[in-house]
Amino acid sequence: MKDIQLENRAVTDEKTKIAANNVNVYYGDTRAIKDVNIDIKSRTVTAFIGPSGCGKSTFLRCLNRMNDTIDSCRVEGRILLDNEDIYDTKVDPVQLRAKVGMVFQKPNPFPKSIYDNVAYGPRIHGLASKKADLDGIVEDSLRKAALWDEVKDRLQAPGTGLSGGQQQRLCIARAIATSPEVLLMDEPCSALDPIATAQVEELIDGLRTNFSVVIVTHSMQQAARVSQQTAFFHLGNLVELGDTDHVFTNPTDPRTESYITGRIG
Amino acid sequence: MNDPHILSAFDRDLEGIQALIMKMGGLVEVAISDATKALETRDVELAEQVRKNDAAIDALEEQVNIEAARVIAIRAPAASDLRTILTVMKLAGNLERVGDYAKNLGKRTSALVQMPVIEGAPGALRRMGRQVENMLHDALDAFVQGDVELAIDVRDRDEEVDQMYNALFREFLTFMMEDPRNISACMHLHFIAKNIERMGDHATSIAEQVIYNVTGEIPDEERPKGDNTSYTFETME
Ligand SMILES: Nc1ncnc2c1ncn2[C@@H]1O[C@H](COP(=O)(O)OP(=O)(O)O)[C@@H](O)[C@H]1O
Ligand SMILES: [Mg+2]
Repeated sequence: MKDIQLENRAVTDEKTKIAANNVNVYYGDTRAIKDVNIDIKSRTVTAFIGPSGCGKSTFLRCLNRMNDTIDSCRVEGRILLDNEDIYDTKVDPVQLRAKVGMVFQKPNPFPKSIYDNVAYGPRIHGLASKKADLDGIVEDSLRKAALWDEVKDRLQAPGTGLSGGQQQRLCIARAIATSPEVLLMDEPCSALDPIATAQVEELIDGLRTNFSVVIVTHSMQQAARVSQQTAFFHLGNLVELGDTDHVFTNPTDPRTESYITGRIG
Repeated sequence: MNDPHILSAFDRDLEGIQALIMKMGGLVEVAISDATKALETRDVELAEQVRKNDAAIDALEEQVNIEAARVIAIRAPAASDLRTILTVMKLAGNLERVGDYAKNLGKRTSALVQMPVIEGAPGALRRMGRQVENMLHDALDAFVQGDVELAIDVRDRDEEVDQMYNALFREFLTFMMEDPRNISACMHLHFIAKNIERMGDHATSIAEQVIYNVTGEIPDEERPKGDNTSYTFETME
């Protein structure tokens, strides 16, 4: 008999894209991340969940060295991208961030045209020499971000003139224009209405054919909807990492259970 | 997980649904006990009462399903809350089926009073019914207490029901072979025995669902099976 399966939600690629080993992060003397070990798989959406202040954003920012820009912040431990230490002195953080792109909570398009917003990364990284190549990258990125049809006739209009949801998809297009391998998203939908949120979620699901996506979200339902792996953080510790289906039906740690069922832990 | 939810209305929803299940369980237990009592005492009025009361059980099942759907839509339950909602829906279905069997028993009792008495059988069926009633009662207790031990115990006790059924099955065969005039009554009694045996299966299914509700794992270990009447048929040929 032919196997009838629900849509395959399992992790499709078991390969490790990012491996973090014994990561500790300090702000001055305060330890915000405590001995975190985690493997982020390729072509998989990994959701970081946990109460406010538990360190999700801090840890996410370690993965593309965004914490370098915070003076008081110190990162210890090893983070490997495809087995190479991203904190190695040889690594150029700007190059790294082209490979490990980031989308923030509030859509933050540059005060430039839609076209220039997307073309910015490929230009500074010298990814396109000819105008036609750049046009191609811009169109391709806007298509992948599911925004092309909405903006193709006004590419020279300012990016800041778009709706909130469109701006966020523009930022996603900008992040993927440099052909990153990993996309980090810090609460990318918290400023969006439900329709725009659904569009971004649909987009994230599509992105995983090409990228590893790591998404920080306050919405447990969003984590359940878009991710294949879920990591639960609590007070700077990684409490539980597992298949999303498992975490949301039968979590292993009582702290995870309390959090996702909305109980006082 | 006995911590209250931050949103206390969620706790009230879950408690409300649990109360509906317990009410259903109470009605079903009464239905089993009344139906088997009516059978033994040849009390047509009581049998009729059991048939009528089934509508209340059906209505409760529907209410459980409506409430469960509402909680899913509004509260998006996860983890143990999700399992509890899945469990109450399953339990309501099991209880509704048991209620149907009791109703069927009432119908057959009305027919049986017109037929010759099969000595000993109604008493044995009533004992079997009591055994199932106790299993059901304990399975629901196990649900409320989250008591896996008790649920496992219920599951194990189903073997005794199967054995009671086997013994009755043989007895009916003997009665029918002795005197063909017993055939009609024995056929009815056999269906009743089979239906009570099925009630035991539903009690067992409830117990297994309780184990899932508490542990998150569906018990897969083969449970003891005592029904070997198909074997009896083979040896008869
Ligand atoms: N720039 C900073 N300087 C000092 N402390 C910070 C800074 N950013 C975050 N923190 C502290 O680190 C902890 C983790 O914060 P954060 O990573 O933003 O948590 P989350 O994203 O899970 O809400 C918090 O206690 C927060 O106050
Ligand atoms: Mg944050």
